[in-house]
Amino acid sequence: MNFSQQAINGLVIGSGYACVALGWTILLGAARLVNFAHGQMYMLAAFICWFILTRAGVSYPVAAVASIVAMALLGVVMQLTMNRLVMTQNLTSLMIVTLGFGYILQGSAGLLFGGAPHTMTTGLAQKQIRIGEVWFTQQDILILVVTLVLYAVIWLLLKRTRQGSIIRSVAEDPKLAQLFGIDSRAVYVGVFVLEAVLVAISAVLVAPRTPILTSMGFEEVITTFVVVVLGGIGNVAGALIVGMALGVFTAFFGALVSPAYTTAAIFAVMLAFLIVRPGGLNTR
Amino acid sequence: MTAVLSARSLGIRYGGSIAVHDAVIDVGAGRMVAVAGANGAGKSTLVNALAGWSRGSPTVSGEVLLNGQNISGLAAHERSRRGLQHVPEGKNVFGELTVDENLNLVRKGDDAAGRYLFSREEVINLFPRLHERRTHKGSALSGGERQMLAMGRALLAGPRVLLLDEPSVGLAPRLIGEVLAVVRLLVDRGLPVLVVDQNVRAVLEVADELYLLERGRIVGHGSASSMRHDDRIMKAYLGGLTE
Repeated sequence: MNFSQQAINGLVIGSGYACVALGWTILLGAARLVNFAHGQMYMLAAFICWFILTRAGVSYPVAAVASIVAMALLGVVMQLTMNRLVMTQNLTSLMIVTLGFGYILQGSAGLLFGGAPHTMTTGLAQKQIRIGEVWFTQQDILILVVTLVLYAVIWLLLKRTRQGSIIRSVAEDPKLAQLFGIDSRAVYVGVFVLEAVLVAISAVLVAPRTPILTSMGFEEVITTFVVVVLGGIGNVAGALIVGMALGVFTAFFGALVSPAYTTAAIFAVMLAFLIVRPGGLNTR
Repeated sequence: MTAVLSARSLGIRYGGSIAVHDAVIDVGAGRMVAVAGANGAGKSTLVNALAGWSRGSPTVSGEVLLNGQNISGLAAHERSRRGLQHVPEGKNVFGELTVDENLNLVRKGDDAAGRYLFSREEVINLFPRLHERRTHKGSALSGGERQMLAMGRALLAGPRVLLLDEPSVGLAPRLIGEVLAVVRLLVDRGLPVLVVDQNVRAVLEVADELYLLERGRIVGHGSASSMRHDDRIMKAYLGGLTE
């Protein structure tokens, strides 16, 4: 086994995990919302990007931005339909409703794009970089850099800006926030759009690494769930650390044991970790 | 003189049970108006409905007027932005935000007419504890400090009228007088205040007028000095003692 190569692979896989999980971290942690359509939104964003890329003949950045905008609009529609459940913080119903949304997205995507696997070619994924015995692609670097930048931006947004305080106040008590003159419904729409945009960014970055299928999404929502729970709900820095660690674990487990059992191993780690620390990386 | 805040035959109904019947209340400029009544008389229900901030989803009838404009159809955040500032009983600050973050959430409305504007410095002068505790989270504050923070953010918003629900509940006796004295100071600057408080004796010391609420009905209204000698108030709240 090439140790440094696996470490690099792990960091790239991990930044992908962290990137896919970021939207959910904010959604669950900062706004106390759940979205089990997260994985299917990832799938849909990837397919929209792929479709525009192959049919419209535009460049990768243009297709990526178009996909992100389309997902933002979808986010608005989804949030508006769920508004009453959200305002009453009815998490159980939201779980079921978003799960339903996920199946609707999956079915629609199946009808539109078919069931065959496709590859999103970005150009960057073909450009390989070799340093000694280690190699990676330009797409890998892009994923790593964008993930780190997004995490930094989101952390600053939540902790250092008035908008961040507003999001956190609505998360704590949407009704009380109204007395501060805050339109809690509008804030929820904004946060959900942020979730949709972030999942779309992660999709257009990470999906080119693997073939895309309209049936995918389950794996993404599960790893996201693990990252968010282990990171400590609402802990942005924790999600980044856990995402990276999980990627490195996946790379080494795949190389040393077997890639087939990676998902099961991830859950074993999560269970063990949560028994010791029920709050994940959260200190409180 | 027209009132800054008025309720016109305000009715609040939860399903079949009527919580408040046809309430008529006026709060004029420079007036401190108290609403007294036993537990369950509907005091909080009434004041929350004025702010558009009812618990559950009651049927609210009648009108709420702010400077003569009907605001009955507005959501709570819109009423807040228009200068109807409500400080509710119980949880009224964000525990996970620091004192500074709580205060920074507030934005003054653009329409300055009729607003009582308070700068950050003035609010700190009224409640110096807020400055000392500015980096502490809301959950780390004492009951009195939370009350000060909640009132502080209401003042920073540039209120036209202030609603206070049980400002003295859970406060040490020394603090009750302090908080009510600050309220009186604001009223003397012109800010109209509607206060609901179980501590009728303390409120009567500082208020101008008092409405007596019994089982959802307003059964009495008068100046504080006249209501102090009202039989029902004496019997129910002042233990029959007179000065």
